[in-house]
Amino acid sequence: MKLKYVNFIVLGIILASGIFTFSGAQNDRTIQLFVGIATSIAYVLWGMIYHALEGDLHLKVVIEYSLVGAIAIILLLTILWT
Amino acid sequence: MHQFLKHFFLPHHSNNHRAKALHIDSLLCYVLLFAIFNLGIRIVHREFPNVLGYATDIRVDALLASTNAERASNGLSALKLNGALSQAAAAKAQDMFANDYWAHNSPQGKTPWSFIVGSGYKYTIAGENLAKNFSTSGGVVSAWMASPTHRENIVKPGYQDVGFAVVNGTLNGEETTLVVQMFGAGGAPIAEVPPVKTVIPESAASSEKPIVAEVPQLGEQTAEEIVPVAKSVDVVASPVAPISSVLSNAFSAVTKTPMFNIPTVTRDIAFMFIGLIIGVLIIDGLVVSRKKIVRVAGHNMAHILFFVAFFIALTMVRRGVLL
Repeated sequence: MKLKYVNFIVLGIILASGIFTFSGAQNDRTIQLFVGIATSIAYVLWGMIYHALEGDLHLKVVIEYSLVGAIAIILLLTILWT
Repeated sequence: MHQFLKHFFLPHHSNNHRAKALHIDSLLCYVLLFAIFNLGIRIVHREFPNVLGYATDIRVDALLASTNAERASNGLSALKLNGALSQAAAAKAQDMFANDYWAHNSPQGKTPWSFIVGSGYKYTIAGENLAKNFSTSGGVVSAWMASPTHRENIVKPGYQDVGFAVVNGTLNGEETTLVVQMFGAGGAPIAEVPPVKTVIPESAASSEKPIVAEVPQLGEQTAEEIVPVAKSVDVVASPVAPISSVLSNAFSAVTKTPMFNIPTVTRDIAFMFIGLIIGVLIIDGLVVSRKKIVRVAGHNMAHILFFVAFFIALTMVRRGVLL
């Protein structure tokens, strides 16, 4: 249970760092896009590590996290580049 | 219909106890749909810019009024709209479109000052603010005031004159509305300013229905035509009429009112989608937790946190950019 909290604190740090960096790049959409992609990749990696530690890492779970990351990136592209 | 909604939004034996909206194939569909949506918006915008486009209302008179309002609130005198500086700003904007760059200095090494000198304005101090892709004049000036370096130009006591150009065109393959603001002090009498030959970028000249006034282009204006108006401009009391006389039609405003504004449409759809997904994740998580269902799937709370973080980030996206 304690490990679960630690994992979610790590996730919180990843996401908060992403938001902070994103907001710091207000004048550069390319950097914002890279920050979004990096945060998404970090999230997918976090998900894989989390489920590996929980003992329920399956290909289906990896695909799910990857698609959630892909949705975030395509939404970011939609807002940034249209 | 009821069964379909239940199947799509609630964990149920029919969907293997995971809302269909969260299944891998559904997630893949969202990615593809948004890719098609992106492509569709570009195509519709290109074919029907008056239906789907970028709503813009940026006018030099409003920019000048906002700039001087900011100066007044800082106890400073109003800047006078200067025809030569406006010509310099227009030439700079044209150069940016012609050479496809977004910078204070051109790739060929031309500085902002070379445009000012080229317009005949003899300065002791000068400055330049740039902005692109804002939708309103107030938004441009507010963003400049929020940026310390741009604010410094606007509230610098030493400046006496200001010039503007607002031009629509294509920069780096993207439809762009450029705003160039040039400051100066110590300029020579405008009567001595030679006319500057300028050519409107093809993309700017052919923009949807952007351009306002009906005055001759800058390149067609003579110094003598500019002089009396510029000298007599009282920007605080009556900014509109004199300004339209000083500035070229092509550079004094960009106004576009498409039926649907692309940034509004994309944001509304993206935010609604994220809200829907977060809602489904919450309901799915609650039902599964209450029924103590064991399943192989991603962690709903993690997905929710991730989407909330992206929602926050997306609200920070500003189309307008400063330099």
